[in-house]
Amino acid sequence: MLFSSIPFLYYFLPCVLLLYAIAPKRLKNTVLMLTSLVFYGWGEPKYVILMVATIAIGYVTGLLIEKWIDTKPRLAKLMLIVSVAFCLGFLGYFKYANFFVENFVALTGLSVKALNVALPIGISFYTFQILSYSVDVYRKDVPAQKNPVNLAAYIAMFPQLIAGPIVRYSDIAEQLVNRTHTWDKTAAGIRRFILGLAKKVLLANILGEVCDAFKASDDKSVLFFWLYAVCYMLHVYFDFSGYSDMAIGLGHLFGFRFVENFNYPYIAASVTEFWRRWHISLGSWFRDYVYIPLGGNRVGKLRHCFNIFVVWMLTGFWHGADWTFIVWGIYFAILLMIEKFFLLKYLKKTKIVNHIYVLLFVLFSFVIFNASDMGEAVQYLGGLFGIGGYPLVSESFFWYLRNYLPILLVGCVGATPAIKTACNKLHENKTADRVLNVMEPLVLIALLLTVTAFLVDGSYNPFLYFRF
Amino acid sequence: MKMNLKNKIVCIVMAVLLFGLSVFAIARPKDEYSDTERRLLSQMPAVTVKSVMNGTFMTEFEDYTLDQFPHREAFRTLKALVVKYVFNNSQNNDIYIHDGYYAAQQYPLNTQSIDHVAKVFNSVCDRYFAEGDYNLYFSVIPDKGYFLQEQAKQLPLDYETLVDSLRAQVPQLSYIDIFDTLQLTNFYKTDTHWRQETLTDCADMLLSAMNAKNDVQYIEKELSVPFYGVYYGQAALPAQPEQIRYLDADLFAEVTVYDHENRKQIGVYDLQKANGKDPYEFFLSGPLSLITIENPDASTDRELFLFRDSFGSSIAPLFIGSYSKITLMDIRYLQSAMLGNFVDFTEGSDILFLYSSMILNDGTTLK
Repeated sequence: MLFSSIPFLYYFLPCVLLLYAIAPKRLKNTVLMLTSLVFYGWGEPKYVILMVATIAIGYVTGLLIEKWIDTKPRLAKLMLIVSVAFCLGFLGYFKYANFFVENFVALTGLSVKALNVALPIGISFYTFQILSYSVDVYRKDVPAQKNPVNLAAYIAMFPQLIAGPIVRYSDIAEQLVNRTHTWDKTAAGIRRFILGLAKKVLLANILGEVCDAFKASDDKSVLFFWLYAVCYMLHVYFDFSGYSDMAIGLGHLFGFRFVENFNYPYIAASVTEFWRRWHISLGSWFRDYVYIPLGGNRVGKLRHCFNIFVVWMLTGFWHGADWTFIVWGIYFAILLMIEKFFLLKYLKKTKIVNHIYVLLFVLFSFVIFNASDMGEAVQYLGGLFGIGGYPLVSESFFWYLRNYLPILLVGCVGATPAIKTACNKLHENKTADRVLNVMEPLVLIALLLTVTAFLVDGSYNPFLYFRF
Repeated sequence: MKMNLKNKIVCIVMAVLLFGLSVFAIARPKDEYSDTERRLLSQMPAVTVKSVMNGTFMTEFEDYTLDQFPHREAFRTLKALVVKYVFNNSQNNDIYIHDGYYAAQQYPLNTQSIDHVAKVFNSVCDRYFAEGDYNLYFSVIPDKGYFLQEQAKQLPLDYETLVDSLRAQVPQLSYIDIFDTLQLTNFYKTDTHWRQETLTDCADMLLSAMNAKNDVQYIEKELSVPFYGVYYGQAALPAQPEQIRYLDADLFAEVTVYDHENRKQIGVYDLQKANGKDPYEFFLSGPLSLITIENPDASTDRELFLFRDSFGSSIAPLFIGSYSKITLMDIRYLQSAMLGNFVDFTEGSDILFLYSSMILNDGTTLK
């Protein structure tokens, strides 16, 4: 079930909120767990069993790790290995088996029957959460969760289940048993949710129409390639950050505070900074559970490069089982190494060139990210520079520019903190503050009704994370 | 306003809106049909273990929630207004409006479709007209986009290539060019179709190219029902209703029109259909796969076999005076390979393939 859908907004969510509100405190996590399983089962009925099994393994191994960590450390380690093996095994089979078989066949020429394994939605998110939980318990960073309902509520919690952020157990362990529900937190949740919903439906989806139209068009031109690349860059940002906003907002409604996942990444002055602002929960997960255990930067230069390479290749591969994602990850590994060992000091000296550099290289990266295969990625990157015999402009370019320019401009401004900064400034003025306070509920109503109108009319509403 | 009060207001207002719409959506009586979109609306699907496990229940439930949402038409209009006036996009649901005319963008040219259409035409000709003496013709009816696309700044369909490509692939058919006999005012503003009362020049051009004469005197009449075309529902924007006008003649009372699909006699004009879901079906009772019109007063024994789409329903009556019998075949609904079972193609007859550019550009429906 998508957050940006009528069944979620007007059927599932009101029911869950009502049940949650009337449930006594001790049953609130049970309500969250059960409704989350319904939410997950709505899209993937058969994979609920897989998820429950994964949670059960995480729960039992967590308890055993804690029990044996001091007395029988070898057994504790074995339990950690069991948990990690199951999580990675499930992930490897359901997400990557097809990819490996296809490449094996391509390499060897042997005839191996395609597995055609369907990817369970959200498996990359919830397996990473269980992995981090097991590791944290093993490291004694957190005590094991004794209550299976609480652990299941954490792992299956529907607000962050299918598109993140990757919430660490250590961040919400306390909130699982002791959290508050206030008017302020609820209002903040509503605001954040509706803002995220509007970002997804009114910006991301509409920009996505241009991207799909470009891909289907036989009237490509150099400037149309650029328009596509800019639209996709904004589309993926508003889609992903919109989902994160909705998740964080829903978390507030249920009394949780999730980690921030995006912080205006397109204003970054370096690619290094970009990755501190983009999909923050994933970046920090790989840092803490892969990069640092590999030795991080406290190793020789060559080993450091290797660590960066491995982490970013895995980051790319996490996004999807395809060479385009691996190349996308390696592309960032190379950029980050160049910055770390050479470029960063020069970037710090500039004020505009560094931003142009980041935007350009991120734009190229997303052209690779959204390509259906590496051939298309190379074709599209070439197209941006006129390689491939494309004309400079085409009628389609002008048509899409004319019809989508306002949304493109709103997207460009919305990807920066300009609106937030302006609102904060206005709040400093007493009169403007009053006007803004009166306007806020009206704007929220207008946004919700407009989003509803777009959904009711059955508009374009893709889900990007089915490959994650 | 204190922050706490503002937050309370936000919570209460949004809760009322969310729960209000939710309760309304669940409790309201369900609609069966959308007049503006001319389609049946989804109903609550049955819950079975199989439908839940294979996900069809969820898909159908989502369709149901969209179709049965309270004030659905108002929400669709809201979306159309936001797209038009806030996003400044000239199209909503692929429909654009220029000078009060609603049109669908036909771009790009679908060469595969043209190839398919040519293949179907050639197959019909080879099957039924290879032996014997037949006068074979084809003509293309431009859609509104031909007249609008440049001034409305829409992506242009290449009509010239469409026609040239078809002509090149069906050399045994003589092409009759009717583009110059038409203009924008020949079409309804909110519908795809052309207005019959403005088609006499076009009909004369077709008849003259087929060496047929028509001296029927028509009387222009008007239906009293308001007409909202198919684009009105798709665009979801407010529009004034139009009137269907038609050309009547004494001759039409004498002819026998037979609907072979439903095996019954019908009229040239169908007043019952005029009051139905699509008033354009007033012309020859709408989309029927096989109709014959016999004119006992004809001064000739010539016959016309018309391969046609819905545009043919309104122009065919203007051919009645020139033929003793007209057979209208819609090979979207009737396999062309099966036609021989139902139609006896009389030698020496005129054969006309008359299709709109919309059908040709999306011609996979032709069988």
